[in-house]
Amino acid sequence: MSDQTTQPPIRFSGQKSLVSRLVLSTLTGRPIRISQIRSSSSTNTGLAPHEVSFLRLLEAITNGSSIEFSYTGTTLVYRPGLITGSAEGLGTSGGVLRHELPAGCSRGISYFLIPLCLLAPFSKSQVNVLFTGPGVITSATSTGDVSVDTVRTAILPLYAQFGISNNIELRILKRSSPGSGGRGGGGEVQLVFGHQVRLPKTIHILNAGRVKKIRGVAYATGVSGSNNARMIETARGVLNQFVPDTYIFSDVSSAPLVPIENKSNPGAKRKIGIGFGISLVAESSTACLYSADVASPPSGGQTPEDIGKQCAYQLLETISKGGVVSSVAAPTMLMLMAMGSEDVGRLQMGRHVLGTEEIIGLGRDLRAFGAAGWGLRDASGDDGDIIVSIVGRGVGNVGRKIA
Amino acid sequence: MAGILGKRKRVSREGAGQQNSASRPSESPEADDIQAIFQRHFEAKFKPLDLGLEKVEIKESAQERQDEEATDWEGISSEDEKVEIVEHSARRPAGARPGKDELKAFMSSKPPSFNTTISKATQSAPAVLDDDIEALNLKNDLALQRLLRESHLLDGSTSAAANTLAPSGANRQRALDMRLQTLGSKRSILTQKNMPMSHRKGIVAKATQREESRRKEAKENGIILEAATKMKKAERRRERGIGGPGVGKFNGGTLKLSRKDVESIQGSRSNASGGRGRR
Repeated sequence: MSDQTTQPPIRFSGQKSLVSRLVLSTLTGRPIRISQIRSSSSTNTGLAPHEVSFLRLLEAITNGSSIEFSYTGTTLVYRPGLITGSAEGLGTSGGVLRHELPAGCSRGISYFLIPLCLLAPFSKSQVNVLFTGPGVITSATSTGDVSVDTVRTAILPLYAQFGISNNIELRILKRSSPGSGGRGGGGEVQLVFGHQVRLPKTIHILNAGRVKKIRGVAYATGVSGSNNARMIETARGVLNQFVPDTYIFSDVSSAPLVPIENKSNPGAKRKIGIGFGISLVAESSTACLYSADVASPPSGGQTPEDIGKQCAYQLLETISKGGVVSSVAAPTMLMLMAMGSEDVGRLQMGRHVLGTEEIIGLGRDLRAFGAAGWGLRDASGDDGDIIVSIVGRGVGNVGRKIA
Repeated sequence: MAGILGKRKRVSREGAGQQNSASRPSESPEADDIQAIFQRHFEAKFKPLDLGLEKVEIKESAQERQDEEATDWEGISSEDEKVEIVEHSARRPAGARPGKDELKAFMSSKPPSFNTTISKATQSAPAVLDDDIEALNLKNDLALQRLLRESHLLDGSTSAAANTLAPSGANRQRALDMRLQTLGSKRSILTQKNMPMSHRKGIVAKATQREESRRKEAKENGIILEAATKMKKAERRRERGIGGPGVGKFNGGTLKLSRKDVESIQGSRSNASGGRGRR
C-alpha cells in the first residue's frame, strides 16, 4: 500500500452513513477524511460510542490501518490497511477475535455485523469475531437496527447469490434486548465468515417471483415465553390468509447478567436487556428475501399482540415495495455488486426501496470512491420497478491477488 | 409441499356449478391441464380454438361477446374470459407443519439455505452398479474378518444366538472390547478402573496362582503350553537430583557399581562373544 501515502484522502462531512463510507474506504483502499461529525451538537459532540467501537473493530480486522481523531472527535482521518480477518496476532487468540462493546452502546449488533460481513469476503484469512461485553444488543432496536436473526436469515443467505456460501455461521450465544434507556445489553454473538473470494460473481436478478413461504423467529429474553406465543399467534393471524406456509419459531432465554461497576461489591451483577421481539422473513419462488423486524421498546408498555401485528404489517409493506431486494438488504447487495468483476450486473429494485436517502447516498459515495455511476431504467413490468445496472470495480480481494 | 399449498383452483363460475355433472371429456385434472397447455400453445401460433363446450357458454353471455367483437381484439381465447377464483385455505394441510429437521435447519447458526428441500435420495438412485458391488464386497470382507477374529466367543452353548453369527450378551461386550483394543484403546472396558488396593492385589494374586496351577498341571500331564510371557520388571529408577552419579549408586562416600553397571560401561564385550541366542 505504498500509493496510500501519495493519495489525498477523500473528504466527507457529517456523521451520516459513516459506517458505509468506512467500509467503502477499506474495500477500495482509499483514505478518507470525515469532518463535522456532530459538530453542532453541544451535548454529544463528535463520535458516538458505537462509532468508536466500529473503528476499533476495523482496526482489529485490518493490518496497517491508521485512524486519527481530532481533539473533540469531530474530525476523523482513516487510512485503510489490508483486511486480514482473524489472523493470529493482535487481539486474536485461538483464531477468535474478541470484540467488546461498551455499555453505552445504543445500536444493535447488526450495526456491526452487516458491515463486517461486507468486509469478510475480501479478507485474507477467515473472519471469526466474538462480540461480547455489556453493549451487545441482539434484538431489533428503536434506533433502526435489525435483529441478529434477520441478519442470519435474510442477509447472510444473499451472499450465496454472489458465490459466497461456505463456512458462514452466525452463532447467537446469548440473546439480549436493549437495556434501560435503549442502552447496553448483555448478549454474545459470534460471526464466522470462512469463505473468502477473489471477486464476487456478477448477478442478474430481475425476477422477484411470488412469495411462497414465510418463516420467522420470535424471541423473548427474561420474560415469559407466552409472549412469543402471543406474537406468533397474531402475526400468523395476519399472514396466514396470504401465505399458508407460514411458520414462526420461538426462542426463549433468560435475561443476561452484566457486572456493575461498584466499588463496595465488586462481584455484583445485574439483569439487563429484558424484552421480546419478532423477526419475519418471506421467501419468494426465486429465492428473494423480504424481512421485517419489530421488538418491544425498552420502556415497555406494548403488548405482544401489537408487536406481532406490527411486524406482520411491516413484512407486508416490505413485500409491497416490490423489487428483488428489501431496503434492509439493498446496501449489501449494491455494495457487493460494485465490488464485483468489471462486468455489468443488474438488479431490479422497487421504486421506494431505491429512492431512499441511504441508497442514493451510497450511490454518490461510490462515485466519490471512483466507481462508475449506476444505470437506472424502468423495468418492463407495470409495478414501477427500476432496474439498476452496476459495473463492478474489478479489483476485489487484494489479499487474494497473489494466490 | 408448496405446490399443494399454493394451489390456485381455477374454476369458472359455470364450471363450478357443472362440476358434479362432469360433462367434460377428460375426467382427471392432469389430463385437463395438459389439454389446456396444448390448447394455449396452439392458440399462440394460430387462431383461437372454439370448442363445443365453450360455444354453449358463449351463447349465455352473448351480449358480452358482442362487445368484445366490437373492440376487434382477437388475442384472448374464450377460456381466458372465465373469472378466476383463488381460494385461500385458512387451514394448513396435515403434515405441512415444519418438522424437527426444518427447525434445526432454520434455527441453527448457519444461514438457512432455502433451496435444499429437494430430497437427496432421488439423486443417488441411478448410482453406478459397479460401486455398489465393490462396496458390498468390502462389507462382506470386513464381516468375514470380524467373524474369524471373534469366532471363539461364539460358543455352542448359546445356540439361539448362533444363527445370527453376532455375539450376544456378555460375549457381545467382550467382542466390543476386542474391537476397541484393536482400534487402539489403552484399557479394556471389562477391567474395573478404580477399586481398593487389597482387592486389586487379591485379583492379581488369584490370576497368577491360577495360571501357575494350570502350567503345573499341564507339565505333569505332558501337555506343552504356549511360552509364558515374562512380566517385564519395572526398571529401577536412577537416583535423581543434582550431583547424583550418572551410573551406580553413591552411598557413604563410595560409588558402588553393580555387575550390570560394569557391563554397561564396558560396552559390547558380551555381545561380541556372540552366540548367546538360541540356536
